[in-house]
Amino acid sequence: MMQKTLPVYYSVSESISGRTVTDGGFQNEEKAEKIASFNGIDIYRIAAGKFKTSSINFFFNDNLQRDSVTLNALVPAVLRRGSGQFKSFRDIALRLEELYGASFDCGVAKKGECHIIQFYMEFISDKFTLEDTSLFENAFNLLFEIVNDPLLENGSFREDYLAQEKDNLKKLIEGRMNDKMQYGVERCFEEMCKDEPYGIYEFGYVSDLPNITSNELYAHYKRMTEDYPLQVYLAGDMDSGKVDMVMKKLSAMKRSRTKNLDCCNVEKSPETVKNITEKMNITQGKLTLGFRTNTAPGSMDYYALIVFNGILGGGIHSKLFQNVREKASLAYYAYSRLDRFKGLMVISSGVDMKNKEKAQAIMLEQLEEIKKGNISDYEYESTMKTIETGIKSLMDSQMQIVDYYLSQAVSRTSDSFASMSDKIKKVTKQDVVNVSSRIQLDTVYFLTKDSNQGGINENR
Amino acid sequence: MKIDKLEYKKAGETVYSYEHESGLKAFVIPKKGYSKKHATYSTHYGSINNEFQVPGDKEIIRVPDGIAHFLEHKLFEQETGSVMEKFSGLGSSPNAYTGFSQTVYLFSCTDKFDENFKLLVDFVQNPYITEESVEKEKGIIGQEIMMYQDNPGWRVFFNLLKAFYSINPVRVDIAGTVESISKINRELLYKCYNTFYHPSNMVILVVGDVDHEKVFQQVDAGIRPSNRQAEIKRIFPSEPARINTNYAEQKLAVSMPQFQMGFKDDGFESKGIECLRREIAVKLILDMLMGRSSVFYNSLYEEGLINTSFDFDYTIEESYAFSLFGGESVDPAAVRDRIIGHVENIRKKGLDKTDYERIRRAMFGRFMKQLNSIERISHTFISVYFKDVNIFDYLEVYDKITIEYVNEIFNRHFNFNNLALSVIKPS
Repeated sequence: MMQKTLPVYYSVSESISGRTVTDGGFQNEEKAEKIASFNGIDIYRIAAGKFKTSSINFFFNDNLQRDSVTLNALVPAVLRRGSGQFKSFRDIALRLEELYGASFDCGVAKKGECHIIQFYMEFISDKFTLEDTSLFENAFNLLFEIVNDPLLENGSFREDYLAQEKDNLKKLIEGRMNDKMQYGVERCFEEMCKDEPYGIYEFGYVSDLPNITSNELYAHYKRMTEDYPLQVYLAGDMDSGKVDMVMKKLSAMKRSRTKNLDCCNVEKSPETVKNITEKMNITQGKLTLGFRTNTAPGSMDYYALIVFNGILGGGIHSKLFQNVREKASLAYYAYSRLDRFKGLMVISSGVDMKNKEKAQAIMLEQLEEIKKGNISDYEYESTMKTIETGIKSLMDSQMQIVDYYLSQAVSRTSDSFASMSDKIKKVTKQDVVNVSSRIQLDTVYFLTKDSNQGGINENR
Repeated sequence: MKIDKLEYKKAGETVYSYEHESGLKAFVIPKKGYSKKHATYSTHYGSINNEFQVPGDKEIIRVPDGIAHFLEHKLFEQETGSVMEKFSGLGSSPNAYTGFSQTVYLFSCTDKFDENFKLLVDFVQNPYITEESVEKEKGIIGQEIMMYQDNPGWRVFFNLLKAFYSINPVRVDIAGTVESISKINRELLYKCYNTFYHPSNMVILVVGDVDHEKVFQQVDAGIRPSNRQAEIKRIFPSEPARINTNYAEQKLAVSMPQFQMGFKDDGFESKGIECLRREIAVKLILDMLMGRSSVFYNSLYEEGLINTSFDFDYTIEESYAFSLFGGESVDPAAVRDRIIGHVENIRKKGLDKTDYERIRRAMFGRFMKQLNSIERISHTFISVYFKDVNIFDYLEVYDKITIEYVNEIFNRHFNFNNLALSVIKPS
């Protein structure tokens, strides 16, 4: 778990970024089959039998917005502290251990301008257990109870648990600066989208915390379970008896009107390029360039955009890796990545502070090269194949299969792994050049050195 | 061609193996229904092997820190250009990583496995290192080193190793320092290559939906015939049993203190099933003492002394072994003092039999879950392989371990004289 190794290069994985093959290879395609839809709840089943485990995922979806973001982030943190039957975090942990070390987690994520509150349980398939117990049923019941039957005191959440989780959330929000690479990218997007919902931090704001009362949070929890659209994914080895049991439980869940979610706006042209510099006590500078692609997921140009990103910075064959790292030796990592939901692209690299301008010039030059149509056969072919490998590889992870289909649902598109791959295969070099003309630099964010530096100090 | 087959029914997995005349061993773990095929070619050589005797030579040589990792970068360069480009042309992702005691070259692909595999086998056997390319790489690796200097999780770990060890080379960063890599040249790289990249010091592993016989035929055709190499003498300085210092501190740009602490181990077997038994025993104890279901974890969590980042682990290798636990805390020293009190208390009461059985079952389940991921299987296989054990030997350990043995390890490992704490404080 903590084994330390150094890879030859840093590789970025994205939900469908990516990577692919030439001849079919989708015979074993993992499909998400929608098996029911009622009361604003959609239930999907992914019958992936090759895994040793099964998983159950609940996703409550909300708009990413300033007045609910902190509340949304706090709800799962409090729910995991105890349920009606398992009254403490420890009781839940004991139960998970009894269920052969089942994994449980919950929290929030953002996909575009959608705020997702997720609950996840994964456990080994019944055929690997010693007794004749149904882990599936026990695991589902535990997860459903955590979501649907929280521990209450005087009709609300426990005050002490709430206070502790507010403190933990505060530390989590403040802790975003600890991972400099991720922080640079997040801050760049945040500065770019200051006036749009996308700029809202998914874990919320420290200033909201003092005023959140137990009653208010409980009322918000009720809104989540009753109004938010809910998607449930069942993945792994399961028979119809298990599915029926899930349907029965979910149909008894108290639901009211289902909230309508907004669409994510991807159209915006920056008037001028924003330059932001932030100082921190660090050794290496983090250079991040944020772009608008003005391309929505599922649109005709979207597939060309994926190929464009691959050629620019989606792997070791890409222009950024070849030019910033291999030719100029300026960096260990240099990549580009898309936020498919919001139509944003980011270029990120760790460079010596004094090389910032040089690195930035090389990065922008690569973009210009594509605009001019300078794409070699090698760059194009490698990108196409790499993307296909990437799409197929997603099918080897239960969590990534679920995430792929959830992303499709959030962006209101309906590509299967095979159809996504087919559409990408049709993209030509000219399509890539065409889409590149839409890409505009919006913000340059640079995280750089502060004057006073710390040092190592060993003593007894 | 003699192929061995081992079946692990409890896990639903099979391992095929074949030994090449050069002494190289090759393994295939089939994963039906998976798209990805993951192949690795690894050498029993990592950052700690900086002092050795080349078989046949009299003198012992000392090479600059970080050279194993440097060599890992340089091997991708071939006479005909970068081999990375050839893999990319096939749509596969090659990579490599260097640890303390192994260097691993790998690719994963979904198509054209045979061509990819041939590339892997070829490039690892054919270094092409020029002085010019060595100098160019210093810039890239220099930035890699600087990146880790800003990584609090990495720093807190290595500062702890420095606190544990006075002279063992595990205390040095895997990549070395900007200063140490400046001394690396073409000749030294070839010296290390020729010593440690002999087939008899290496292993090939393929995990995925492949035909094992075809893989072994390719190994047979692709590995250059050679005589078996005499044993490489690896020199490890004799490290004192006691820790170097019990506290290390560094200031970095972090929001709150981060810490790692643990016990330096001694008197351990680092080869064979015995080292897996010890690893599982210490992990079981740590889970019982401070895992999510322990009263201890929950008390500290409720007091705000730890949060969900708190985690623990145990590492055992050829010349070192230690336990490790930590995360974020407003007061790492208070956490340490509480752990000392807790261990003393459990020592009086003894480990609880019910907890032991429940956690042993949970650990078995978590082990099974790992088998979902071909990368995970590959990584674990290689990390235990050079200790002369097989990843599926863990199944036997989970089955046969006893509370008596675990108690014995508990009494031996948790020695407060060997407890050290490393803290990263906000600057």
